[in-house]
Amino acid sequence: MAKLNILPVPTFARLGVNYAERDITAFGRKDIAVPDGAEQHIIQNISSDSETNVAVGSGAKLKLVQVFDGRTRCAAILRTVLADNAEFELIQLYLGGDTVSEAVTELNGYKAAFTADIGYNIGNGGGLDLNIVSVHHGRRSTSDITAGGVLRENAVKTFKGTIDFKTGAAGAVGNEKEDVILMSGDVCNKTVPVILCAEEDVVGNHGATIGRIDESHIFYMKSRGIPEEKIYELITRSKLARVIGKIGDEQEEKRICSALGWGDELE
Amino acid sequence: MKEKTQVADINRSLYDFRYDEDESSFLNSGITPEIIREISAEKGDPEWMTEFRLHSLEIFGRMKMPEWGPSIEGLDLDNIVAYIRPKKRMQTDWSDVPDDVRETFEKLGIPQAERESLAGVGAQYDSELVYHNVRKEVAESGVVYTDLESAMHDDRYAEIIRSHFMKLVPPTDHKFAALHGAVWSGGSFVYVPKGVKLEIPLQSYFRLNARGAGQFEHTLIIVEDDAYLHFIEGCSAPKYYEASLHAGCVELYVGNNSTLRYSTIENWSKNMYNLNTKRAAVGENAKVEWVSGSFGSHISYLYPMSILNGRGARAEFTGITFAGEGQNLDTGAKIVHNAPDTSSYMNTRSISKSGGISTFRSSVVINGNAVGSKSAVSCESLMLDSKSRSDTIPTMVVKTDKADVGHEARIGRISDEAVFYLMSRGLDENSAKALIVSGFAENVSKELPLEYAVEMNNLINIEMKGSIG
Repeated sequence: MAKLNILPVPTFARLGVNYAERDITAFGRKDIAVPDGAEQHIIQNISSDSETNVAVGSGAKLKLVQVFDGRTRCAAILRTVLADNAEFELIQLYLGGDTVSEAVTELNGYKAAFTADIGYNIGNGGGLDLNIVSVHHGRRSTSDITAGGVLRENAVKTFKGTIDFKTGAAGAVGNEKEDVILMSGDVCNKTVPVILCAEEDVVGNHGATIGRIDESHIFYMKSRGIPEEKIYELITRSKLARVIGKIGDEQEEKRICSALGWGDELE
Repeated sequence: MKEKTQVADINRSLYDFRYDEDESSFLNSGITPEIIREISAEKGDPEWMTEFRLHSLEIFGRMKMPEWGPSIEGLDLDNIVAYIRPKKRMQTDWSDVPDDVRETFEKLGIPQAERESLAGVGAQYDSELVYHNVRKEVAESGVVYTDLESAMHDDRYAEIIRSHFMKLVPPTDHKFAALHGAVWSGGSFVYVPKGVKLEIPLQSYFRLNARGAGQFEHTLIIVEDDAYLHFIEGCSAPKYYEASLHAGCVELYVGNNSTLRYSTIENWSKNMYNLNTKRAAVGENAKVEWVSGSFGSHISYLYPMSILNGRGARAEFTGITFAGEGQNLDTGAKIVHNAPDTSSYMNTRSISKSGGISTFRSSVVINGNAVGSKSAVSCESLMLDSKSRSDTIPTMVVKTDKADVGHEARIGRISDEAVFYLMSRGLDENSAKALIVSGFAENVSKELPLEYAVEMNNLINIEMKGSIG
């Protein structure tokens, strides 16, 4: 068994968050290089074990959308290196399945910027182990990681988000946030938001909220005649729609909405 | 010309004095079955305790070192003296305590604090309690405050000790819990009967004077239903170049509708490996409050744990850690929600300076049966230079949908916006920054009892002479 999704600094072993294990024979490999000053928008549908290596040149912009279709068990590794003023926007959608996914972004350049928007909807028998690592080397580099989703039935999910400020990353700013809605008494949610800091002149923030749907919201919607089942569906939809709306490709958005049984319209 | 603000390292001169030891009172260094039997014989252990020690040693031998946290490679257990014979048996009058030992505690202000503001005091010097006393009216209320060995040999408490000792922290918990089970010596036993609310605190102070030694005291506190206790723990040691080891253990049982506040100021010297374990089991509608200041030690692993077993049980953890030159302090807390409608709150601050490493590490586990439970964690870290390091590693595990968990953390230096705001209210820049730095620590110090808040002010000498950064 290979150890994947290794937490950059281990913590209490009994919590079971230090790594994930998978029996993997080979990764499908893809390399993406965005030349200096260029701009690319790439959509990946991932359904098998894969490794993607990305380099974003000076002043270049990359928007990478990764959709995990939820029908398979797979592992994905994404390694990205950002040069001066490079911008990398990562959109990830997990629509079920049993996935181990790691994204490590090295912000090497001055003012390199990384944003990640991650949405998930994990249900019966599903699992998700996410390891998002943002390593700040460059001065005034920024990272902003937002994850959120819904866990249903007996879903098991681990979110590990690390912002790592290295010495010399003066003026860097890193933020991470996760907002999880739990919809069943049988779910298991693990959240590990880590900040590692070896530089004085930085600002790092992380926040997490984990819990049920606010009872006052349910009461309000019920008072407006919406059945409870529909309320849960609306909440799930709102969590995913936030991320789907950022894909920026109408065809892909329609395909995902259709796969989720929403017709082909986001709203 | 702008001057850089100097936030001074902790002034340790108050604690850094020592007396010569009579090394003939030392048992051989190392951890072997022979040493364990010798300790057990010296202490006159009952048979079950001797067996418990030897069983713990077996566990110690087969357990691995922790695979996370700061390196403890500099700690050579073969060179640690596990037990030092006391010069004299425990006394209840300071005038009967050996002169050098009494002078040590007088310098630390313990007899004075006892006279002025405490219900009882225990003082441990190296391996054994040297002084233990409790006010007459407190004893008459049924409160028991004595050393653990005396209680173990007293027919009234022997069975209580046997049924509670290392049940919350079993030797299998981790390697240093097993070591503690094998070589423990000294520590306090507190029993607060049902309905007794002790308005003034009890205090135990642990002093490790000997070179290259270990201190392994065990504190066992049982607070029955509808009761209240505030227990204060202090610890210090002079500095040596050889490594010293503190692997104490604290077990707290908090009965239904009771509250136990456990305050600690840890100020070991910078050659100390502080691998301490603290744990509380909390009953229905009961509350445990941890107030923890970590200032000393070379290496620390310290995460007080609260197990909320009763419906409506609560835990609060308030902590501050100051890591200076040569220190790597890995501190935090663990909370397990194991019953419905439980709640917990963690609020911590950490400061890193002059190459010091401060790590906040926590875990909140909400089990499937803890429906209706709530937890909030807040931690803030201040970096005072780029030689230092500050890490935050919290974990939240939630196994029910009927719970609410929140976490927020912030790391950085002094905010320009906050300085600007205060300056817009009429403060000059230096005063604004001074106010922010002192306010950062004060959030925790205000939770300390008065005498410890004063000690903390002595420990941290903050001098503001210009701008930070």
